[in-house]
Amino acid sequence: MTTESVPAGGDARRLLAEARALAHRVRLDQRMTWTALLVLGVAIFAGIPFDWFGMKVHCLPDGSCQFARRGMLYYWPAALPLAYAAIAFCYMRAARARGLGARVLPYAITGAATAVVFPAAWFAVQLYLDGHPVPDQPLPYWGLVLDRLVMPWGMIGVALLVLAWLERRVALLVFTVGYLALVLLVLPTNFGLGPPHWGLRLQLALPQLLSGTVLILGAVGFRAADRRRR
Amino acid sequence: MTAVTGSPEPDAAHPVNGLDEVVHQRVRLGILTISHEARRVEFGYLRDQLELTAGNLSKHLSVLEAAGLIDVEKGYEGRRGRTWITLTADGRTALADEIRRLKQLITRVETTDLPEDR
Repeated sequence: MTTESVPAGGDARRLLAEARALAHRVRLDQRMTWTALLVLGVAIFAGIPFDWFGMKVHCLPDGSCQFARRGMLYYWPAALPLAYAAIAFCYMRAARARGLGARVLPYAITGAATAVVFPAAWFAVQLYLDGHPVPDQPLPYWGLVLDRLVMPWGMIGVALLVLAWLERRVALLVFTVGYLALVLLVLPTNFGLGPPHWGLRLQLALPQLLSGTVLILGAVGFRAADRRRR
Repeated sequence: MTAVTGSPEPDAAHPVNGLDEVVHQRVRLGILTISHEARRVEFGYLRDQLELTAGNLSKHLSVLEAAGLIDVEKGYEGRRGRTWITLTADGRTALADEIRRLKQLITRVETTDLPEDR
């Protein structure tokens, strides 16, 4: 005869707590946040020369200038899928070395999919301008924010939100919200930053330098935090 | 014969009655939880996390594999043999059921007026 006790509430609670602790440990071991931030930061830095040399600037006698950032159109649609492929590869390789599968694919797919947003928005604006006069009024504030969101630096932030959810990492969520606030509300990625005598190319490069630096610094911070934990 | 004790009035609706003996075991629940979270897990990782000997872990894996809850895939990386464990669809369902029943059990115990409370 076997006598088994019905598991009391305490046993059930202990089993659940152990299962949650194990799941949490696996998530910690799968994290490679710093790799994603580093690769994306490097991608931003690598894009600056494309924007600089691919930009067509036409200045008028009254001192105003018109510009077309063609370099970005050639660079980012290829760079983003490549960057996310590199991130997915690094995640899977590191997870495999630790004896685990990786959870990064939804993030990499989301990130690569965002690569089409910027050229699509650019073509949509071109199509609109073909049939309508150029607006003589500046864009409303929400229009400027939307314009910054569809740019690659904004889309990088949106994809990072997915990574924060996949990794269940509150610190990354906070970092991403800060990064998005910076690139959407603070840095004028769409019309440049700095005094007029710097020239348009440098003014437009500066927000990119700053957003890339933030990602690299984030990578260093998350790397240090992960090393301390291990 | 199995005698069940610990509940004032065991009945068919009691969450304990639905517990799967294969899954309702500390180590095997751990294996399923890690496999679910990791998507795919290597034998050595499970052994380290669950603090088991290789032989003990193998026995638990055999039980789960026989029940169709996990798939075991053996292979080589270079000269090193590696065994990978993946949760099956039945395994995912069994894990979800076990977690749900454990939560029900906790709720039931918390809301039941036990004799010592009277």
